[in-house]
Amino acid sequence: MPKILIVEDNEMNRDMLSRRLARQGFEIAFALDGKQGVEKALSEMPDLILMDMSLPVMNGWEATEKVKSNPATNGIPVIALTAHAMAEDREKCIAAGCNDFDTKPVDLPRLLEKIKVLLAAKTG
Amino acid sequence: MTDTKSPVFWKRIMMKRSAIGKENELLRATLENMNQGVAMYDADYRLVTWNERFVEYLDMPEEFLGTEKTFYDYIRYLGERGEFGKNADIEAELKKRVAVLDTSHSFERVRPDGTVLEVRRDPVPGGGFIAIYTDITARKHAERQLREDEERFRAIDAASPVGLVIADREDKTILHFNRSFCEIVGREPGDILGKSATALFDDPTKGAALAAILGGEPGERSEFRFDRLNNECCAMVSLAELEFHARKAVCASFVDITDRVRAEEELKKAKESAESASRVKSAFLANMSHELRTPLNAIIGYSEILVEDANDRGDSASISDLNKIQSAGKHLLGLINDILDLSKIEAGRMDVYLEQVFLSKLVDEVKTIVEPMMGKNNNRFVIECPAKIGSLRTDLTKLKQNLINLLSNAAKFTKDGEVKLALSRENGEDGIKRIRLTVSDTGIGMTGEQMSKLFQSFTQADSSTTRNFGGTGLGLTITRHFCTMLGGTIDVASKPGQGSTFTMVLPDRAAKPATQQPAELRLAHRADGAKSMKILVVDDDPAVHEVLSATLSREGYDLLHAYDGDEALKMMRQSQPDIVTLDVMMPKIDGWSVLGIMKSEPALQNIPVIMLTIVDDRNLGFSLGASEFMTKPIDRARLVGLIKQFTHVNGATVLVVDDDPDVRLIIRQAIEGVGLVAAEAVNGRAALDWLDKNPAPSLVLLDLMMPEIDGFEFLERMRKREDGHDVPVVVLTAKDLSEKERIFLAERTILVLSKSAQPIGSIGNALAAIAERGAARKTEQA
Repeated sequence: MPKILIVEDNEMNRDMLSRRLARQGFEIAFALDGKQGVEKALSEMPDLILMDMSLPVMNGWEATEKVKSNPATNGIPVIALTAHAMAEDREKCIAAGCNDFDTKPVDLPRLLEKIKVLLAAKTG
Repeated sequence: MTDTKSPVFWKRIMMKRSAIGKENELLRATLENMNQGVAMYDADYRLVTWNERFVEYLDMPEEFLGTEKTFYDYIRYLGERGEFGKNADIEAELKKRVAVLDTSHSFERVRPDGTVLEVRRDPVPGGGFIAIYTDITARKHAERQLREDEERFRAIDAASPVGLVIADREDKTILHFNRSFCEIVGREPGDILGKSATALFDDPTKGAALAAILGGEPGERSEFRFDRLNNECCAMVSLAELEFHARKAVCASFVDITDRVRAEEELKKAKESAESASRVKSAFLANMSHELRTPLNAIIGYSEILVEDANDRGDSASISDLNKIQSAGKHLLGLINDILDLSKIEAGRMDVYLEQVFLSKLVDEVKTIVEPMMGKNNNRFVIECPAKIGSLRTDLTKLKQNLINLLSNAAKFTKDGEVKLALSRENGEDGIKRIRLTVSDTGIGMTGEQMSKLFQSFTQADSSTTRNFGGTGLGLTITRHFCTMLGGTIDVASKPGQGSTFTMVLPDRAAKPATQQPAELRLAHRADGAKSMKILVVDDDPAVHEVLSATLSREGYDLLHAYDGDEALKMMRQSQPDIVTLDVMMPKIDGWSVLGIMKSEPALQNIPVIMLTIVDDRNLGFSLGASEFMTKPIDRARLVGLIKQFTHVNGATVLVVDDDPDVRLIIRQAIEGVGLVAAEAVNGRAALDWLDKNPAPSLVLLDLMMPEIDGFEFLERMRKREDGHDVPVVVLTAKDLSEKERIFLAERTILVLSKSAQPIGSIGNALAAIAERGAARKTEQA
């Protein structure tokens, strides 16, 4: 089953996302901040990363740039999750190398659709 | 020459007149030709000699000329005639005149007609006197004019609210000033006159500043700041040059602008504090946005999990309640989003991001979102959109939000009816192309009064609407604001019970609003003039067009779109783009062939090309950021073509860097075959050594895989050398490149960019770099 790395510092969000994605049959890995996210991307080699943008230690933009600049992990699609629903946030995420962008609170069907598209593009 | 006015002269004449009769005629002629009236009286004061001018000046009747009448009779006669004024005491006038007749005297007389006579009388030895009358009316008039002018000037100088100063041009000594100047600078007149401007103020720096201003160019205006009674004041000083008492001087006018300057400073302070308040408000809103959404996130998310759990258990009773929690949470989220949007709009901080929006795709996305809403009230959703509706340049997020808002309103206020979204293009009379987007429904409709309130904040058609239909009442306000920001309009037509039609008309190309805040994210090296750069995107995949549109349109590049090689070449020939991004895998003609054709056409061969290759496809994942690339085995004809392309001079040197002696031989033959000189190096190190000893070659043919220093490292080192910076390099390479090599090329040569693995932002940077290079090249050519 595809493995998804959730990089999220808020425990409730982590809990919700992981439970709902697990219900869909995904294998889940966690990271609690951006630095950990970059490390876990390498050690877990997930199929996809859900990246919160406001993270402690290292923010999501920086973490995404690190993931994308490492040849070992740059093929892993990253979906940015942010509470800022502003258009400039979307641009900023895309510019940092994120493959897609979604706002929180998470609309699960929409997020699943995005996950599906990216995973299909990766394997296909 | 003898002065004709001199009494001595006349005395002489009169004496001679009686003595020498034959000179009488000559004397008469002289008298008559004089410019003055002359009269001579004998010892009995009888008029004995006169000229015509005397008769004319005084309008003298015949009876006084050469008769027994005396000066007394004559004065009395004049008095009665009113020559001395209406109520003059004639005897007193006579007495006054007679009293001085034995001495030389003169006086002025104004005649009733306004002429002024200067009368001069001198006694003659032996009795009698001579009187000479001069008409000085013109002189008197000029004198009066001068006096009046002076009075007028003095009045203006004294009363003018403008301070005036005349100072010596060289030493700045104050030669003249007026009252206003004293008042403006707060000094007493005694403290000013004759002083140098530098000594005018207690603070010597102010005096120096004034002197500097007075030393300025004529016509110059400057602000002079100084202290008046310990208050900081400001005057606007204008200069003019003039001659004053034969000195080179400068005239300066001073206008007190202290109040204006203070008002400006206060305004500036007010503006700054307002801006700071606005920044605080924005930061607060951004924070609130996060703080409000985090708990909502939990409410919505956990209620959804519980719904899923309840579904698994078949607990339908809980599902209904949980759905209510969830929908209330989503409602609250909608409210927060609307309020945030409106606050941003009102604070002028709502940014507009222009990009090429493909309408069919937008309609599809919107349809997915609003279709569930349509089902709720059993409405049919109809879309009328021409297949070739194309794209427009606008803000995707805002247009989408507007459509969703209008459609969800329509769905909300319509039951068992129809909601229609129609799109069409129109050409305005003003020559501007526009897109018309219409959302119509068969719902409850509105009255005229309801419509008038429609676009106001926090108002719905009436307050019961909120109870019955929910919503913030901000949606249409935001929609209208967005339309305005995108350069468009929104109108509504409706009748109660007959549904409503909302029509948005947006320009095909929205202009950036002038108040736009600079976006935080900018390309790192954006070349000047990038705004006007035309970029042709060649790709059969619409997704690529979209991604590039999103990144590049916002940067102000003009995008052209071609979906296959044929179309691309046609567009290139037609509109000469500044840059082409080229997909490799395309139907009909592939990217490499397009590139080949481009290089063979003089009009196209200098257009920079960015190859977009799919990294996963190893066989196509090559190409180089040098000037050209070649694959092995080497095509001789093509090699010759390339060499000719880059070396225009006969006898130019081409450096061949390859570790394979056979390859070097083939190439050497090719080079020498076209009359050029070939130099050889067995690897990167040998090539660098060669560069140290020789002038830069016209072209380098470079293998990549070599011992010691390979082609990559050589390329990198050579590019850092001053003489190697611009040398064209044709890379010779096998088709297979490793991942690492591709990354190297992607980063250093910017010609290989992958669709999926490279951050999209780097495409923009690559374009900017190429644009800069292009600009530099153009400058060189010029």
